[in-house]
Amino acid sequence: MEYFLGVDIGSISTKGVIIDSNLNIIANSYLWTKGNPVDSIKRLLNDLKKQVSDDIKIVGVGTTGSARKLIGAMLKASVVKNEITAHAVGTSTLYPDVRTILEIGGQDSKIILLKDGIVTDYNMNTLCAAGTGSFLSSQAKRLDVLVEDFGKIALTSKNPAKIAARCTVFAESDLVHKAQMGYKKEDIIAGLCYSVCNNYLSNVAKGKKIEEPIIFQGGVSKNIGVQKAFKDIIGKDIIVDKFGHLMGAYGVSILALKSKERREFTFSVTDDDFETKGITCNKCGNNCEIVLVKQNNKLIDAWGNRCENGQVKI
Amino acid sequence: MDKITIGIPRALLYYKYKDLWINFFEKLGCNVIVSPCSTKETLENGKKYLNDEACLSIKIYMGHVDYLKDKCDYVLVPRYVSLVKHEKLCTNFSCLYDLVRNKIDVPIINYNIDIDKKEDEFYAFTGMGLALGFKYAKVVKAYKDAKKDEKISSDKRLLKQKSILGSSKNIKILVAGHPYNMYDNLIGKPIIEFLKKNNIEVIYADIYDKKYLKSEVERITKRNYWTFNKELIGSISHHKKRMDGIILLTVFPCGPDSLSNEMIIRNVLDVPIIQLVIDELDSEAGIITRLESFIDILNERRQVHE
Amino acid sequence: MNKIISFPHLGNYSVPISFLLRELTKYEVRESPPITKKTLEIGSKYAPDTVCVPFKYNLGNFIETLDNGSDILIQAGGGCRYGYYSEVQEKILRDLGYNFEFINLIDSDKMKIREVYRTFKKMNKHLNFFKFSYYMLLTIQMIRYMDKLDEIIRHRIGFSLNIKDFTNNKSKMLDEFSKVNSFYSLTRKYFKYKKIFKNIKIIKPNNCIKIGIIGELYTAMEPFSSYFLEMELAKNNIEIKRFTNLTYLLFQKRRQTKKMLGKIKDYCTYTLGADGMDNVYRCKYLIDNKYDGIIHTKPFGCTPEVGAIPIIEKICSDNCMPIIFFSFDSQTSEVGIKTRLEAFYDMLNVKKG
Repeated sequence: MEYFLGVDIGSISTKGVIIDSNLNIIANSYLWTKGNPVDSIKRLLNDLKKQVSDDIKIVGVGTTGSARKLIGAMLKASVVKNEITAHAVGTSTLYPDVRTILEIGGQDSKIILLKDGIVTDYNMNTLCAAGTGSFLSSQAKRLDVLVEDFGKIALTSKNPAKIAARCTVFAESDLVHKAQMGYKKEDIIAGLCYSVCNNYLSNVAKGKKIEEPIIFQGGVSKNIGVQKAFKDIIGKDIIVDKFGHLMGAYGVSILALKSKERREFTFSVTDDDFETKGITCNKCGNNCEIVLVKQNNKLIDAWGNRCENGQVKI
Repeated sequence: MDKITIGIPRALLYYKYKDLWINFFEKLGCNVIVSPCSTKETLENGKKYLNDEACLSIKIYMGHVDYLKDKCDYVLVPRYVSLVKHEKLCTNFSCLYDLVRNKIDVPIINYNIDIDKKEDEFYAFTGMGLALGFKYAKVVKAYKDAKKDEKISSDKRLLKQKSILGSSKNIKILVAGHPYNMYDNLIGKPIIEFLKKNNIEVIYADIYDKKYLKSEVERITKRNYWTFNKELIGSISHHKKRMDGIILLTVFPCGPDSLSNEMIIRNVLDVPIIQLVIDELDSEAGIITRLESFIDILNERRQVHE
Repeated sequence: MNKIISFPHLGNYSVPISFLLRELTKYEVRESPPITKKTLEIGSKYAPDTVCVPFKYNLGNFIETLDNGSDILIQAGGGCRYGYYSEVQEKILRDLGYNFEFINLIDSDKMKIREVYRTFKKMNKHLNFFKFSYYMLLTIQMIRYMDKLDEIIRHRIGFSLNIKDFTNNKSKMLDEFSKVNSFYSLTRKYFKYKKIFKNIKIIKPNNCIKIGIIGELYTAMEPFSSYFLEMELAKNNIEIKRFTNLTYLLFQKRRQTKKMLGKIKDYCTYTLGADGMDNVYRCKYLIDNKYDGIIHTKPFGCTPEVGAIPIIEKICSDNCMPIIFFSFDSQTSEVGIKTRLEAFYDMLNVKKG
């Protein structure tokens, strides 16, 4: 049997799965990126390794997420794909008739519309952090509650506060304001959950027809307060899969399976020494930041240059 | 035949042509309903029809049309390209008709004004009257009478402002913005109310004798071709000597204002100016703070002068 | 001392513009330094905050070229906000303390040839109308030829074995064009390169993905401002159709307005300002010609395009045509654009099967 590894590495969390050639997930892992993708990938691989027997043969690797290129170079991936395609492929494999994927991650959010397993439309918000996971965690800190408890607390509210959340800065000042006006904590927290949904629907999902079945995923989908808010506002049933956070990694592992390339992967890569270095090219006014990736002190990849002046020979 | 009901959105050119429009339709024997003042809900309803980057004023406009959609036989949505030869208006006025037609399911009564193509106001109004099924003579008379009424009310407004200019000793601020921004409930109203509360005499830039225009404008800009902006510049140039300060009131993201106001700020150096760019996200508090400090500056300047 | 004349960039059109200025004025022509991120930074620093991004690029070009020793600046007009750029830019540069002559070539959106002649005559007393017309026409012909060759390139470059086959030859072509001296030599060069571009070896499948690019003119014609969107597409085996070029804007647009309006009666009764209606028509064209997708580009807050977008969205959704919108300003994240673009052709690829 052949096995495939899929890795989804975002700015907040790193996700990985190993699948067999029947598309079953045989190992999965989910941990914080902590601003260090190289290190988090090593931790991820160690975790995955523990879950499988030593003799399985991984013959393809796919990467996705914002650091997909870097990790792709490290793991010599055969597929390096954007998050939208990866999520669509992963989700529609488990739910072939899915029509709408709502996704709210750590720092970005997206909506994907599908029909018969094919993406027909999508949108993505990369500009604004309002209504993403990092926004919720920072507000949790401000209110002195654990972000993990956010959902539970939100559900106890009977009268959610109205919070303007089109923009993080405004949401924050509004939050302070509401707290000073004497709103209860649970009402503010529930209000935040609603504002995350409203913000998402009026920005990312603007003008998109949300049809059932609807699947909600990404880190924020674990928050039951936000789940409830979505159900209330959209007025339709919303599915949250227990593997929802792994869909990107799952999707990209499937893409690795489907690609014709086969290249054996070994966990020994965790013993290697990786170094990434950003240098600024000063050969023209673009001042491109060029990323160099070194494996055991040997340059394996480089990118980031706009023109040939900044080309790095490997 | 039942009376025809015409709905007029209280936004954009309503603030310039309300007397003409209402009188014209009433003289023809139509019912006229005007949508109520803008609220947050108007904006929310309008936004969904447009791209996010559309300006605040047009988002509000769409909200007003949305309000009227099942309350009248026709909504008036005119198209304006140019009012003066070789001059233009913001392209939003060119696309408004087709935009409403495509996005909101509502019967529209429309006219088109494009002076460069020789389609003037008389031609446009008679065409519209005929399209509503009225006789030519009646339409012409209604238009001419409405024009007279329009003149009377604009003269009245001019007189009132002149008397304030002559008599008041209070601090005077010229609010220079498009009428649809100055008088809108969500945009200019809170600002003007705040000024009045602070004993400021508010002078409206759209009220002045427009025959000053050409010579006045050329002191500030030679190549500006947006009629509405030129009117504002003419007004600033005309009023500024008697003003303590000027507020340039605009919305985000207004195309013509972004350049036109830059020229005003760079060329009018003898009167204090602030530019307020109103955004749908803005909290009133931030704007009030800026206004307060502006008023403080003006007060101090007066004291020094005295 | 000889004076130096310069102008803001607009893609490869700096070649014909330089050519024209060299022939008609007695000044030394010095192109603005190539656009880089720094150009945009400088432009953004001194431009009004909410102005559209082409203003910032132009202003950056002017400042860089003034620092590079230019004495005379040329700016052209155009529809929408472009027509008023020149006066504001001149004022900003003067306030910054620069000393220069500023020439506004076209005052409104209509080009009046006599006025342009008078402007050039002021710069060069020895110019006569015959010479002026000759070089004007020659330049126009050069622009037409460039646009025609670009069209061939856009059809083929996505399928080249080595993209440099095209890009290197194009640089050579531009270089040779800039050195022509008559219609005869220009036409010969044109046919030479037409043959070259048509004969570069490509592998193009019959059912390749075809994408139409529509939208605002500056982001269409200045590749830097769209983060080299077309090049990005070419790297992914895509055939590109782009409508906006100088030939279109200067000569075809006005003649076609009626025809275009006739074809999209259901959506547009009137023109929408600037190229708004043109873009609705282009959607119709791309739908009728079975293109796979549309990319719409514009600077952030571009009023005419923002006004047209709801109608563009409607015609596309009525016809199930995938479309993606890009809005560029000085803070656009390049990574975000690439990700969305990648997902777009993934989507089209899967659809195509």
